[in-house]
Amino acid sequence: MIQQILACALGAAFGITGPAHQYGQVILDAGTHKAGVPAVAFDHWRHRARFTCRLCHVDVGFAMERGATHISASTNRDGFHCGACHNGKTELEGKAIFAACSGSRTLVASCRRCHGGGSDKSREDYAALQLPRGSFGEVDWERAEAQGKVRPLDALEGVSIPRRALKMDRDVHIESQGAWMTDVKFSHKKHAIWNGCEVCHPEIFPSTKAGPVKFTMFQIAEGQSCGACHGKVAFPLAYCDRCHTKPVQFR
Amino acid sequence: MRRGALLALLAFPALAVRAQADWKKEFEEVCSKTQDAMSLGLVELRSLIGRCETLKPQIDALGPSEKKVYGKRLQACRDLYAYVLQSREKG
Repeated sequence: MIQQILACALGAAFGITGPAHQYGQVILDAGTHKAGVPAVAFDHWRHRARFTCRLCHVDVGFAMERGATHISASTNRDGFHCGACHNGKTELEGKAIFAACSGSRTLVASCRRCHGGGSDKSREDYAALQLPRGSFGEVDWERAEAQGKVRPLDALEGVSIPRRALKMDRDVHIESQGAWMTDVKFSHKKHAIWNGCEVCHPEIFPSTKAGPVKFTMFQIAEGQSCGACHGKVAFPLAYCDRCHTKPVQFR
Repeated sequence: MRRGALLALLAFPALAVRAQADWKKEFEEVCSKTQDAMSLGLVELRSLIGRCETLKPQIDALGPSEKKVYGKRLQACRDLYAYVLQSREKG
């Protein structure tokens, strides 16, 4: 009974509160007001199904911190940031990817595909996804990959540096500070599939030279450490037993 | 005099292309080892950090878009090597 109450409370506190298609959505508005265009509602799920985190956050150079990338129409037109793929030439699934930021002085229909894009289209496309879902309706990416339903690209010609796949399978044991919560077994292997070392180190997980880094669930919920992805884009924090690998129980 | 100026004008784009190829080649060489960072020795890590720092002014001199993107990518490489080096020195 206590466990059920706890699960409910965790679900309410750390689950997905908004519509599932908006989970991981990033509103890109730095500079859009000045440019006189609506903000971009970037859907992570649409891109995650096709590209690894590493490709965008390392090779293309999208910062993990909101507003730190300084995307602009001119960087896009020069073939960087969104324009690395959205250039009207790069092909995906047999079709050229539409070009970003035409340079038009007025807001034409093509601009609206990203700027002020309709939420209805996002919801409809999300609903049509044939991918395994979690309890909150979000895509379970780990299962989707295990089932072979997504095969994200990890390199982009002319952008990525040829390199061998990352082999990192060392688990890290993280001791839980709560007497009632089991320890975390952090799997580098699971995270390395879609990420490169520099996605997490040292920006999100800095050097432990000064001693072990301690973080609480409150800090994680605020977006620090694991919360840089979990609770924003990767699976929500409500799934305690996906990190605290033993069943949650009172000691 | 006029001939010299003409030759310089013809040579400039070729030199610019060459300079572009040089920094990009060095960038790719330096940053292609991030996946192997954990297996690199202290000497190699220090050398890679030094090469990143040497490359930085060249990237800072590029056009705004390239500077923004490659500057950030180079910084991420450098920081990772420094992170691994620091962890090694500690251990």
